[in-house]
Amino acid sequence: MSLFENFSELQTRRQFFAGGRSIVGSAALASLLGPASSLFGSEAGPSGPHFAPQAKRVIYLHMVGGPAQMDLFDYKPGMQDWYDKDLPESIRNGQRLTTMTSGQARFPVAPSKFKFSQAGECGMWMNTELLPNLAQKADKICWMRSLNTEAINHEPAIAALQTGNQVTGRPCLGSWASYGLGADNENLPAFVVLVAVPSNRDQEQAISGRLWSAGYLPGKHAGVSFRSKGDPILYINNPPGVPQALRQRSIEGLNQLNNINFQQFGDPETQTRIQQYEMAFRMQASVPELTDITQESKHTFELYGEEAAKPGTFANTVLMTRRLAERGVRFIQVYHNNWDHHSNVAGRMPSQCKDIDRPCYALLEDLEQRGMLDDTLVIWGGEFGRTIYTQGKLSRENYGRDHHPRCFTMWMAGGGAKGGTIYGETDDFSYNIVKDPVHIRDFHATILHLLGFDHERFTYKYQGLEQKLTGVLPAHVINELIV
Amino acid sequence: MKTCVLNVVLMLTAMLVHPVKGADRVSFNHDVRPILSDKCFFCHGPDSERREADLRLDDRAAAIEAGAINVNKPDASELIRRVLSTDEDEQMPPPSAKLGHLSPQEIETLKAWIEQGAVYENHWAFVPLKPLPETDQSVTSLIDEAVERGLEKRGLTRQPEADRHTLIRRLSFDLTGLPPTPEDIETFVSDKSPEAYEHLVDRLLTSTAYGEKMAVDWLDIARYADSYGFQVDREREMWPWRDWVIRAFNENKPFDQFLTEQLAGDLLPDATQDQILATAFNRLHQQESEGGSVEEEYRVEYVCDRVQTFATAFLGLTFECSRCHDHKYDPITQKEYYQLFAMFQNIDEAGLYSFFTNSPPTPALELTDAATRERLDALQQKVEAIEKSGKELKAARAAVFDEWVKTQSESLSEEKTTLPGELARFPLDEVTGGKLANTVQADQLATLAGGNQIVPGRTGNAVQFSGDDALNLPLGNFGRHEPFSVSLWLQTPDVKDRAVVFHRSRAWTDAASRGYELLIEEGRLKWSLIHFWPGNAISIRAVDPVPVGEWLQVTVTYDGSSRADGLTLYVNGQPARVDVIKDNLTKEITGGGGDNITLGERFRDRGFKEGLIDDFRVFGRELTALEATAIHDEVSAESLLSVDENSEATEDRNQQFEWYLSTIDEEWAKHLKTLQESRAEWYQAADGVKGIMVMRELPEPKPAYVLFRGEYTQRREEVFAGTPAALSPFPEDAPRNRLGLAQWLIDPQHPLTARVTVNRIWQSLFGRGIVQTAEDFGSQGARPSYPEVLDTLSAGFISSGWDVKQLLKTIVMSQTYRQRSIADKKVMEDDPGNEWLARGPRFRLSAEMIRDNALASAGLLVQRTGGPPVNPYELSESFKPAAASGGDGVYRRSLYTRWRRTGPPPAMIAFDAPRRAVCTAKRERTDSPLQALVLLNGEQYVEAARVLGEHVYLEADGDVPGMIEAGFLRCLSRRPDASEVEILSALYREQLEYFRQHSEGAEQLLKIGRAPRDAAIPVAEAAAATVLAQALLNHDASVVKR
Repeated sequence: MSLFENFSELQTRRQFFAGGRSIVGSAALASLLGPASSLFGSEAGPSGPHFAPQAKRVIYLHMVGGPAQMDLFDYKPGMQDWYDKDLPESIRNGQRLTTMTSGQARFPVAPSKFKFSQAGECGMWMNTELLPNLAQKADKICWMRSLNTEAINHEPAIAALQTGNQVTGRPCLGSWASYGLGADNENLPAFVVLVAVPSNRDQEQAISGRLWSAGYLPGKHAGVSFRSKGDPILYINNPPGVPQALRQRSIEGLNQLNNINFQQFGDPETQTRIQQYEMAFRMQASVPELTDITQESKHTFELYGEEAAKPGTFANTVLMTRRLAERGVRFIQVYHNNWDHHSNVAGRMPSQCKDIDRPCYALLEDLEQRGMLDDTLVIWGGEFGRTIYTQGKLSRENYGRDHHPRCFTMWMAGGGAKGGTIYGETDDFSYNIVKDPVHIRDFHATILHLLGFDHERFTYKYQGLEQKLTGVLPAHVINELIV
Repeated sequence: MKTCVLNVVLMLTAMLVHPVKGADRVSFNHDVRPILSDKCFFCHGPDSERREADLRLDDRAAAIEAGAINVNKPDASELIRRVLSTDEDEQMPPPSAKLGHLSPQEIETLKAWIEQGAVYENHWAFVPLKPLPETDQSVTSLIDEAVERGLEKRGLTRQPEADRHTLIRRLSFDLTGLPPTPEDIETFVSDKSPEAYEHLVDRLLTSTAYGEKMAVDWLDIARYADSYGFQVDREREMWPWRDWVIRAFNENKPFDQFLTEQLAGDLLPDATQDQILATAFNRLHQQESEGGSVEEEYRVEYVCDRVQTFATAFLGLTFECSRCHDHKYDPITQKEYYQLFAMFQNIDEAGLYSFFTNSPPTPALELTDAATRERLDALQQKVEAIEKSGKELKAARAAVFDEWVKTQSESLSEEKTTLPGELARFPLDEVTGGKLANTVQADQLATLAGGNQIVPGRTGNAVQFSGDDALNLPLGNFGRHEPFSVSLWLQTPDVKDRAVVFHRSRAWTDAASRGYELLIEEGRLKWSLIHFWPGNAISIRAVDPVPVGEWLQVTVTYDGSSRADGLTLYVNGQPARVDVIKDNLTKEITGGGGDNITLGERFRDRGFKEGLIDDFRVFGRELTALEATAIHDEVSAESLLSVDENSEATEDRNQQFEWYLSTIDEEWAKHLKTLQESRAEWYQAADGVKGIMVMRELPEPKPAYVLFRGEYTQRREEVFAGTPAALSPFPEDAPRNRLGLAQWLIDPQHPLTARVTVNRIWQSLFGRGIVQTAEDFGSQGARPSYPEVLDTLSAGFISSGWDVKQLLKTIVMSQTYRQRSIADKKVMEDDPGNEWLARGPRFRLSAEMIRDNALASAGLLVQRTGGPPVNPYELSESFKPAAASGGDGVYRRSLYTRWRRTGPPPAMIAFDAPRRAVCTAKRERTDSPLQALVLLNGEQYVEAARVLGEHVYLEADGDVPGMIEAGFLRCLSRRPDASEVEILSALYREQLEYFRQHSEGAEQLLKIGRAPRDAAIPVAEAAAATVLAQALLNHDASVVKR
């Protein structure tokens, strides 16, 4: 039998690593086949969860730019009578404005131009004109209309929402989840990031690795960004001309050499390196399978829509989140851009909603059909809200809105979030919260709770301090949001 | 994992046994402080805001007075009673703190300590260094002895010296960041002289690669990057500073100077360009330009970043904790934080950089070489000479004027309100088809739009502004060499804190206000020409406020000199009393967009809301005082002339003379023309010089305040420059600024500077510091494993004159450094981090070294020092993809890789290079499968393997064992053994067989990278050699220093 016939026999990774032909020392091999490996953070955090988690994984859909809450979820019919009247000073109440509008001479109210109606048993008032599909899931969703933050610009606001601190550089929510719970699949990272491409790319905010860095947590807890173009993971593919079977032989040879090295010096790091190469090889086998959505059924594409077949679309990305969740990835962070509607809400909001409406519905439906919704927490929201007053020109048909940190709407579903809840209230102008505020610290505390952690005890020692996601100011788990 | 668990158990056992054992003296710093710091100080420590029950346990007298400690009587001490209590209302730490209980051993330790007198010690790191002992022994042998004593105490022994192949590889990476060449190895291994090792050390320390290696760690500290960071992350040129660092290390600049120049080079007497360049260290933090950001918010962030970087780099303290409150664990108050803040904020900077222009934020140093400097000086001298000749000419023309004025008798009263040089006049009286007429250039109209309206004006109509809409005029793009003037009538409805009357610029902070502008600021008129606000501009502001509800005639002029005294503001025909706000304009005022005059509004600025403007006029020359009066009085300038020379005041006489020169005198006109041309030439040359952000101390300190919770809006008590009281005193005669701060740091009495620096150098060689927390020498940081080693080296470092190369040599000459890095299993398992130094250093190479090693092994590395950053192949895979550099850019050392903070080189990030967003004193070292993918599949590495494969193939003439041996020497710095040759030979043969059958695959593989392929080698052989070389470049010993 020639060597190359041998190759074909060894195509599957099971055979490769379990078939007895491996040159890897048996101890190393045993550790590979065991359930835990430290290479991708499968080891638990200092304590593991503090109590039984309700959510085993998280899919976080971040709407970059800050969707306008009063155009989607925070219904303010009274504003029609306020058209083009100045926002009362008593409502603005000395609020810090961005320098985009702080120089503006007037602050005329821009009522939403979209049609709202009540959805579900819970009677959630929402924009059913642009989000008809999502509305069907209203009773599965836990609506939070009273999120609030201090930040008024994108960079600090996204940082605050994801890391608990306006200054970038702290670990983000996904890194904390990876640190606390580790991965459920030894061939994939615990924390994966996907950046969806919006169909309208008018005004995108810069998204980059600084947002999913591990901060002071060990680097392996950083998000691994899957790319929508080219290799899904950097250099996952062999160079052209080198088939996987041939690569397999060179990794075997390499590990044989490293094994000699290990026998000679007994450096445990050499063992780690042997594992590292074997896991890299397994990833090379598993990632293409993961990202190959052609295997999905017709039903899937009917559910998510035809856009789901196009790489990089939000629908495609959301479908990918389900595939990642199925395979044990702990935290999947999605970014969808172009929600920064300083002008032309009328022109931009419909395409944004079209991007997300069906896929969000489909994701919840799909997870439910697969029995995964109960332990998968889906989160949707932006980094802040927008102002009721217009930025720039105002007409009945069109307007712009500036950043607004004092209130905005987010929603959660599954994973222990209480469906059909409508929590928090804002004033008539959707400007100030009048009931049940949810500060982003409370939001973090609540998510950690769903993941099985007491946010006050979930810490990491850095610079002499027990650092935590929720920081030093008080944060509360909001029990009303939880099943 | 098992070994870890075992370790923890062993360590715990050791800790349990130690303090409780009978009469052992309890050390406050070693045994007690960690307990108090972890469990008590949060509420009973230095932070006065958080302090509970007014009790502090970090201060002996206070703790005794409060009854918490009863000296010698643990059982009568409240502290002990409380930690033993089971009553939820009494027990400490309280359940609400979620800190758990003290362990019985910890309580025993506290009891023993109180029994022994409750002696407090100053935190070890704050105790001044003792001078070196009087001894003939070298520092090297002192540290070896100290380590030996420590090992003996723990029943350990040092490992024998590593073999020569290992030593040269270890030394080469540690001192140059590069592998040794096969020739270097041969020379060293065959040199049997006892000085061979020392010679090698000396040789490596003098190579230029040394400075490059040392620079990498310093770039992490300095958070060096080639872009601004944050959201917009525009690229910026700071690399001349990086080259300064490389030069400084290669010249072995003493560390005290290295530090002083970076902190305060601008404040040194007769500072050189290089010394000022060094201060760019303080400007390497991230900067923001996101639309809508608040300028002051980010300015405060920048200053805080400087403080944090300073404190981490030189003090090893977590100073940033004190930004919002007194430090919980270390004796640093919030006030002291802002005392340092006061030193680092004192420059003329903006909190946002310009989006619409690419000028570096101020203050900036214009970087010139000798030839450029010479040329600029010559051009400047030429202008100054012409200015001087102008004075002489003026004196000479006075007599001519006297004669001329006498000849003007009857014609003087003639109505003639058109002034020379008028370019445009907009009476703003009526709108025709949305247009406003121009009475000078009838075809150049202005457009009325938006909420701006025509309303009754001072004469006829005027424009009233909405504040949100611009009125654009079709002219006004003046350069700074061109004299020009603008006159208008205006009326404000209220006292404006800030309002834009007119300007030529693209935007306010988004363009750093580049251009010129007339504003009302704090109720006063302000007239400015600006390259980059605030540090590169000339600006004057009226002393008297603008009256509300009154028409005011305003004329502003500029003479083309780039000086504040070349700006004049006339109000109602008279020169206004003004303050000079800025007087430093060294660059162009054009560019960036917004090339015409705009009235009443500016992008993201505050418009002239409900303000009125009437009769707006623009002149292409500097109007004279007489003309300003004439405009206001609505008469001709001629009518203001007086022929009776005796009856007039000198002031008027001068005004008339100036007007004569400016409008009548032909000699003067020629002079002005020459002057303008020579200025144009000078400015143009100066505009082409690149600037780099540096520090330039303002003459008057900016007021500094404690910021409540660290928030920029929450100013509290005013504070003044100073240093923390718990550290050494501020030198009496030192200035209270950054220079004094540097002097404070390098004072031999300072307890931290040398220790922190020595520790970091040690860390770079051993993989961990003597103090494991290189970033935290405070009471929550780790204690030094060998305090005497740290202190001896530190004292030696100071007494050597802060000689960095000597410090490195002292360490690498030691037996501690030279021992084998692999010990028996027990030592490896008991002390995996090598805290006790029972073996030599061993750790995975840094991201830079791994890439440089591959390039060097393949012979591809281009060793050229310095210059602009380059893009290796991997940047095309970055989050913000950039095409690979042309030429040999892809083969430069990794420290020259372009560092964009939002799209850093992904392969380097995979190997734990920090993102350089903030100061990093210690890199992580992780292992992940992503690293294997980079080394196996990354273009840079596949190409290196391909070229390396060719080299070894040619070297061994295709002989397989020969190829393997050559490859081993290049990549692993040693020869292979028989089994290694066997494995690799088999691999090579297999691959060769495959590629012979799949030549198209081989061709594809050989196309990777841009290095040309050697066609003399058969395709299959070249491909198989590539795979062989890959195995070597991926070999454990290739990426780990042992």
